[in-house]
Amino acid sequence: MLLDLHTHSIKSDDGRAKVENYCQWIKAKALPLDGFVLTEHRQFDDESDYSALAEKFGLCILKASEVETEYGHVLVYGVTPELQKAFDFASTHLELAVVLSESKKHGAMAVPCHPGRPKVGMFAHTDELGIPEGVEIVEIHNGGSRDQEDQIAIDNAEALNYRGIAGSDSHIVSHIGRCATKFSRNINSINDLVEALKAGDFEAVNLKTAG
Amino acid sequence: MSIATLSDVEFGVELPTFEPDTSLKTVGTFAELVGWGGARFSDHEAARKEGLAGAMVPGILSQGYLVAMIHQWAPPAEIKKIDTVFRAPVIADEPHAINGVVTDIDDEEGLVEVDITVTNEKGETRVFGTASVKLPQ
Amino acid sequence: MTDNVEQKDIEDLRERFLNRDFDEKEFEISAEKTISYARLCGETADRFLDENHPDFQASSTFVASLSGRRVLPQDFPKMGLGMDAGKGVECLQPVRPGKKLIGRTHVHDIYTKTGRSGRMVFAVSRIEFYDEDGNHLANSDSRVVMREKSK
Repeated sequence: MLLDLHTHSIKSDDGRAKVENYCQWIKAKALPLDGFVLTEHRQFDDESDYSALAEKFGLCILKASEVETEYGHVLVYGVTPELQKAFDFASTHLELAVVLSESKKHGAMAVPCHPGRPKVGMFAHTDELGIPEGVEIVEIHNGGSRDQEDQIAIDNAEALNYRGIAGSDSHIVSHIGRCATKFSRNINSINDLVEALKAGDFEAVNLKTAG
Repeated sequence: MSIATLSDVEFGVELPTFEPDTSLKTVGTFAELVGWGGARFSDHEAARKEGLAGAMVPGILSQGYLVAMIHQWAPPAEIKKIDTVFRAPVIADEPHAINGVVTDIDDEEGLVEVDITVTNEKGETRVFGTASVKLPQ
Repeated sequence: MTDNVEQKDIEDLRERFLNRDFDEKEFEISAEKTISYARLCGETADRFLDENHPDFQASSTFVASLSGRRVLPQDFPKMGLGMDAGKGVECLQPVRPGKKLIGRTHVHDIYTKTGRSGRMVFAVSRIEFYDEDGNHLANSDSRVVMREKSK
């Protein structure tokens, strides 16, 4: 099962894609995706219910979040109401240690994204701040990466024994599916996804270079 | 194929890409025309001293290229809304591509949504956005 | 305002500045200028290039090149050099060269985020353009990003 684990819709301030159009695009272009996860910036979208769209298009549509820490941006999968009380998702000053520990405590999984990117990527800060404890997975392929950003992520992840996921980081419809993560098990819910991530049962796929 | 009416448009279709004139001369002329005269738009060396990779194409010129592409594809198209995010500088004298794809068609309103991007030679997105375009029914 | 802006500061800014007109300016738009603009953008449609075309008008995004006397209110806090982070234009009616335009500016949104170049404050400045009869022709949004100074 192939899921794009990093997408943004119009719910994000810089997102320009409607979720229905993502679904139409995946089908019209026969992308190999089985679904995608909406990771809106600095929020968890409690309001939207995409179950009807998921059913109509036969896709798995899940919701997560992208928060901001001193080590850069972090995807949080498995957000619960309790986790939302544990730290302020809207803050741009979160501590990575808090995001990691609270996510773990509440059964979620926190994954630093585009870690090879200047300023907003974790490895841009490890020289100064040290290697953070508690990271298990990082995003090693990001659809918006430039230059050597993905390679920096891959090299550091390998050196630190992190597992790697991939996501397109799409902000417009046509950018979905540039990168995705392959799971050998079926994912039908956010709990399934978190379990699969915890089990290490996945592989990052860069579809930009897959031809 | 030149688009005349909404019924000519298919979801997912790519608009013909065009390579804009990003020559320093054109960029400088444009900047002067709109009153943005300044070294960062007309002089690579001076722009580098400001910490840029070279003289920049003004964001509104990139936006103009994107709109021109839409009119080249569909001459009667009326731009109702265009929103562009400048992710990274577009550098003058470097080849770029102006791209668009149709990502939504609203038959009732006669509107087409187009994803628009400016990409450099490495395929990196420098500008992205969306345009909402009205076409005759 | 401190170098590193807290969420509370943003709430205060929103309270003080959002949706209040702080500038009004008149613009005279010449056909010569809009035609040059269209040509440099690569426009090919005659209605933007031919002054004698029955539907002659300025390019759809021409209004994005028109600036008020200020982008942000005079008493808006200084937060470093503002950079152009994006533009949006909403076209409501054609802008006809040769006619006077009136632009009224307000701050439409303020928010923060972090990007490749560090933590940033975004302000969206909107100019609403009207003709002399008060018809609303277009809106032009400028997203100005102000980068926080490094600690």
